[in-house]
Amino acid sequence: MRTNLARNFIRSAVLLVAFVVVAATSARAFDGPDTSPEREQELLAVLHSEASPAEKAIACKGLAIHGSATAVPELAKLLPNPQLSSWARIALEAIPGEASDEALRNAANSLEGRLLVGMINSIGIRRDAKAVDSLTAKLHDADAEVASAAAVALGLIGNSDATKSLRDALAAAPANVRSAVAEGCVLCAERLHGEGNSLAAVEIYDQVRTSEVPTQRIIEATRGAILARGQDGIPLLIETFQLTDNRMFQLALGTVREFPGGDVDQALAAELARATPDRAALMIQAMADRPNTVVLAAVLKAAEQSDRQVRLSAINALRRVGDDSCLATLLQIAIADDQELAQTAQETLAELPGQNVDGKIVGLLSSAKEKTYLLLLQLIGQRRIDAVDDVLKALKHSDPSVRKAALIALGETVSLKRLPVLISQVVAPEYSEDTPVAREALKAASVRMPDREACAAALAMALDRSPDASKSALLEILSDVGGTSALQTLAMAAKSNDPQLQDTSSRLLGTWNSVAAAPVLLDLAKTGPEEKYRVRALRGYLGLARKFAMSDQDRAEMCQNAFDATRRISEHKLALDVLQLHPSVEGLKLTINAMKTPALKDDATAAALVIAQKVGGKGVDISQLLSGVGLDKVKLEIVKAEYGAGSNQRDVTAVLRKQGGDLPLITLASASYNTSFGGDPAPGVVKKLKVQYRINGKTGEASFAENALIILPMPK
Amino acid sequence: MSKRVAQHSRRQFLQTAASVAGAAVAAPMVIPSSALGLNGAVAPSERVVVGGIGIGRRGGYDLGCFLQQDDVQFVAIADIKQKRRGEVKKIADDHHGNDNCKMYRDFRELLDRSDIDAVLIATGPNWHATAAMTAAKAGKDMYCEKPVTKNISQSLILADTMRRTGRVFQAGTQRRNLPHFAFACELARTGKLGTLKKVYAHPAGMQALMSGWLVPETEPDKDVVDWDMYLGPAAWRPFNQKLLDGFNFEKGGGFVGAFNGGGVLEWGSHCVDLCQWAVDDCLPPVEYNAPKDGELMARYENGTQLIFREKGWIPLGSCPVRFEGETGWVEAGDSGKMVLSSPELLAGRSVEEIGGYPATFHVRDFLDCVKTRRQPKGNAQAACNAHIACHAANIALTLGRQVKFDNATNTFINDEQANRLRSEALREPWRL
Repeated sequence: MRTNLARNFIRSAVLLVAFVVVAATSARAFDGPDTSPEREQELLAVLHSEASPAEKAIACKGLAIHGSATAVPELAKLLPNPQLSSWARIALEAIPGEASDEALRNAANSLEGRLLVGMINSIGIRRDAKAVDSLTAKLHDADAEVASAAAVALGLIGNSDATKSLRDALAAAPANVRSAVAEGCVLCAERLHGEGNSLAAVEIYDQVRTSEVPTQRIIEATRGAILARGQDGIPLLIETFQLTDNRMFQLALGTVREFPGGDVDQALAAELARATPDRAALMIQAMADRPNTVVLAAVLKAAEQSDRQVRLSAINALRRVGDDSCLATLLQIAIADDQELAQTAQETLAELPGQNVDGKIVGLLSSAKEKTYLLLLQLIGQRRIDAVDDVLKALKHSDPSVRKAALIALGETVSLKRLPVLISQVVAPEYSEDTPVAREALKAASVRMPDREACAAALAMALDRSPDASKSALLEILSDVGGTSALQTLAMAAKSNDPQLQDTSSRLLGTWNSVAAAPVLLDLAKTGPEEKYRVRALRGYLGLARKFAMSDQDRAEMCQNAFDATRRISEHKLALDVLQLHPSVEGLKLTINAMKTPALKDDATAAALVIAQKVGGKGVDISQLLSGVGLDKVKLEIVKAEYGAGSNQRDVTAVLRKQGGDLPLITLASASYNTSFGGDPAPGVVKKLKVQYRINGKTGEASFAENALIILPMPK
Repeated sequence: MSKRVAQHSRRQFLQTAASVAGAAVAAPMVIPSSALGLNGAVAPSERVVVGGIGIGRRGGYDLGCFLQQDDVQFVAIADIKQKRRGEVKKIADDHHGNDNCKMYRDFRELLDRSDIDAVLIATGPNWHATAAMTAAKAGKDMYCEKPVTKNISQSLILADTMRRTGRVFQAGTQRRNLPHFAFACELARTGKLGTLKKVYAHPAGMQALMSGWLVPETEPDKDVVDWDMYLGPAAWRPFNQKLLDGFNFEKGGGFVGAFNGGGVLEWGSHCVDLCQWAVDDCLPPVEYNAPKDGELMARYENGTQLIFREKGWIPLGSCPVRFEGETGWVEAGDSGKMVLSSPELLAGRSVEEIGGYPATFHVRDFLDCVKTRRQPKGNAQAACNAHIACHAANIALTLGRQVKFDNATNTFINDEQANRLRSEALREPWRL
C-alpha cells in the first residue's frame, strides 16, 4: 500500500516534468525500489544494444542503484567515452566492491587528460588504498591537473602510505601542484586528529604552515595546528592574533570561537589590552561569542574606558554576556551626551542578561531623577518588569515624556486585573494630550492577554460607558483582540443606531481574519442598516471564502450564499473569482448555474471553462455537467496563431497547439502572453493574438487583447 | 464550515502589535557599524570586495542587496554567458560610477584574484556546491544561493570544507534573518511551546526536476555561451537551448531515479531549514517514511516529528512553517505575518513584520560575519543538516519506503540502496 502511494506521488510529479527525453525502457528501470538481477540485466541490455547515448546515460544512472559487479565490465567500456565517461562513473562510484575499484584503477592507467582526472577523483572518493602507489607516481605527472587530482585523492585515502607520499612530495612539488599536495596533507592531518593521533596531525600541520604554499593552505594548516595541540595551542593562537597579515588575524578570530576550555579566554583578555583599536573591537565580539567562559571584567573595562570604537563594540557585546554588575556603567553611558554610545547602551540595557537586573532597575526608580527616571521607566516597559504601582505614580508627572514612558510601560506589563487602569486612561484621560499613547498602550496590553474573551468583555463594558470620541478606538482594539466576544460586540455595534459605530464596525468586520466571522458578515450583508455596509460585509464574507482553506462544499455554499444575498453583479463576479481560484465540481455546478443570468453569462462561461479544465485535469468526469450547457468536449485544432502588432508578428502556433486540450479554452503557462510566447515581439505597442482554428471540423477565427483569457468561440 | 479552519484561525494581533513600543524582534544588526570603523564614509580598508559567480535572475536580486550596502565594492563577474557578463558589469559600474568591474568566463580566474574577499554564488543549483568548495579553497568567503547541495555527501563535505578552510559561508536561506521567522523558531527552540512535538515544512510541491538529455543543437561559440562550463560537474549531455535557459541539472537530488527529486530541495532548503532552526539546528531526523496522504513524516532522535506537507493551514503566504509543542503552536509565512496559539507567547515583545522575504538582512549578516568571523545564520553546518533532511526525504520518496539514517556514521542503516543514493560522481575534472 505504501509503495503504491509513493509511486502515485512520484507519478503525479512525473507529469509536471517539462523537459524530459528519456526512453520508456530506461525510465521503467527507476519505477520501483527493488534491486534485482533482472533489473540490472535490463539496464545492461541497454548498454549492450545500439541504443542512443541518451538511453545509455540514463541506464548508467539506473545501475548506480541496481548494478553489481556483473555490470562493471560493461560500464568500464564507457570510461574512455568523453560523452558517457562521467555517466559510467556515476554507477562505478556507487557500486560497492573490488570490481569497481579495479575498473577505475585500470582506466587510470590507460587514460589521460580530463578523463584521467575523473578516474582519479573517483578513486579518491572510494578511498581505494590499492591505488596509492599509482597515485604517488602521478604526483609527478607532467599534467598539473592530473598531479593535483592525485594529491587530493591521496589526501582522501589518508592512510600512512598516502600520507608519507604527500609529505615527501610537498617541498619538491612544482608550484602549480604544491597547493593540492598541501591540501592532501591537511586532509591526512585532519583524519589523524579525528582518530585521536594529534601528535602526528600537529607534525603535518606544522610542515604545511611553514612551507611555501598559498596563504589559504597556511590558514588551514594553522587552524589545524592550533586545535590539534589542544590547550597547548593557546600560544600559537595568540601569536596568530598578533600577525600583521589580516587574513591570519581573521583566522584567529574564527578559531578562538572553536577553542575549548576557559584558559583561552584569559589569554584573549590579556591580548585585548595589546591590540590596536580596530582589532580590539573585533576581538571583543569573539570574546562575547564564548558566553560561558568570557572574562566579563575585560569587556566591561573596554566599555568604560577605551577607544570609542572599542567601547561601542564592548557595550554591544554586554548585551550577550553582561549582568547586573554592568548596570551602573551602562546607565551612565545611556544618559550621556554621545548619542551613538547612549543608543547602544540603551539597547543593551533592554536585553541585559542576569536575574538580578530587573530588581535593581525597580529599586533605582524611587530615587532616580530626570533622564535616569525616564530611562528606567522605559526599561521597565522594554524588559516587562512587573512594577505597575511604581509606574502608576509617573502618570501624574508634569513631564509628558515621562507620562508617555509610563503609559507604554503599563501597556507592556499590566495584567488583566489591572487592565482598567489603562482603560480609564483612554476613556477618561487626565491629560488629553496623552490619549493617543494611552490607546496604543491599551491595545498592546489587550492583544497580549491570555484570556481574550475576558479581555474583550472588559473592553465591551468600557464601550458602554465611553464617550463617543473613544468608542471607535475601543472597537479597533476589540478587533485586534478577536474571539467570540469581540465579534459579537462588533456585530451589535454594526447594527446600532450610531452611524459612526456602524461605519467603524462594518469596516473592521469586513477585514476580520477568521472564518468564525462568516455568519456575522452574511447576516450583516443581508440585514445591514445601509447598502454600503451590506456591500462591505459581503465582500468581507467572500474574502474569507477566497483566503481560507475549507472543503469544496463549504466554499461553494458560501458562494451560493453570496449569490443569494445580493443582486449586485459586481459581487456575483467576485464569487465567480473565488470559485475559479479554488476549482471544484461543486463550484463548477454553481458557475454553470450562474450562466443563466444574462449579465453574468460571459464571466460565468469563462469561469466554467477554466474550472472544467482544472477539475478535468485531475481525472474527474465532468462531461455530463458540461454537455448540459453547451460546453461539451470538442476536437480542437489550431491552424495558425500569431501574436504581435503590425508587421511584428510572432508565430505562436506551436505554443497554442501544445497548450490546447479538449475544451475551447487554452490556458497558457503564464498569465503574460509575452512570457508564454517567448518574449515581446513589439515592445511598447498594443498587441493582439490572432488564432485560426477548427472545432469539431468547423473553421473559426478569433483575436484576443494582450493577456486575455483565450476562449475560442464555437464556429457557426 | 471547515472545523480545522475555525480551530486554527486566530486573532490578527501581530499586525498592530508591531507598531507598539517594546522589546522589538527586528532584523538584526550584529554590531554598530562604527564599532567596526564604519562611521560615515567607508574606508577602503573596511570595504568587502565582492565578485559574482553566475548572476542571473535570482543573482541579480542578490546583487542588488549587496549593492545596497555601503561597504561593498563589487569588482568582478564570472558567468558562462557573455550577455550576462555585460549586464552585470553595467549594473556594478553604474552603481560605483567607474569602469572597474572585470568580466570572466571561467570563475577560477576570478577566484585567483587576491583582492577579492568574498563571492556571491548564484549559478544554477548544479554548480552551487562545487563552486562554493572551490571558492573556499581559494580563500574566499561566500554567499551561496540554495539549494546548496545535490546530495547527502556534498552536504557533509560542504560543512567540513568550510570548517577546515575557516571560511564564512552563508546559504541563501534569507528567512533566517527575518524577524517573524526568527521569533517563531525561537519560541520552538527555547521551549516556549512546551516539548516540541511536530515541526511542519511545506515544500510546495515535491516535484521532479531532472532534465535529461535533449536533442542536440549547434553549440554556440564558447565566448558567447561556454556550454562545457555550464555543464560543469553535471554528467555530460549535448547543448540544447532549453537546457541553457531553464535547466537545473537534477536540481537537488535528481540522482535518485530518472525523474524525481528536486522539489523537496527547491523549497525544502528554506522551510526545512527553518524547521531545523526550530529544533535548535540539531542533527537531521533519523527516520524518514514514505509519503502518505500528502505528508511525508520524518522523526528526530528525540521523537519530534518533521513533517513535509504541501501547504500550510493559515493563509500566510509562501513557505509557511508550523511548530507544534505540547502547550502551544506558531505558524509563519512569507507574508511577514505570524499566528500564535496564544498571545502570551509574545511575552510583550513586538515582532517586526517584513513581508516578501527580502534578502537584504541576510546579506548584511553575511557581510558583518565576513568582518567579525562569526558564523552567519545560514552557516554551512546549519545548511548541511537541513539539506541532509531534504535529501533523505527524497530518498524515502524515491524508494517508496522507510529509511533510517545514522547521524554518527552518516549512513542509512542496513540499507545499501539508500546508501548508494547518498552521493554521485562529478564530471571530470571537477571535484569537491
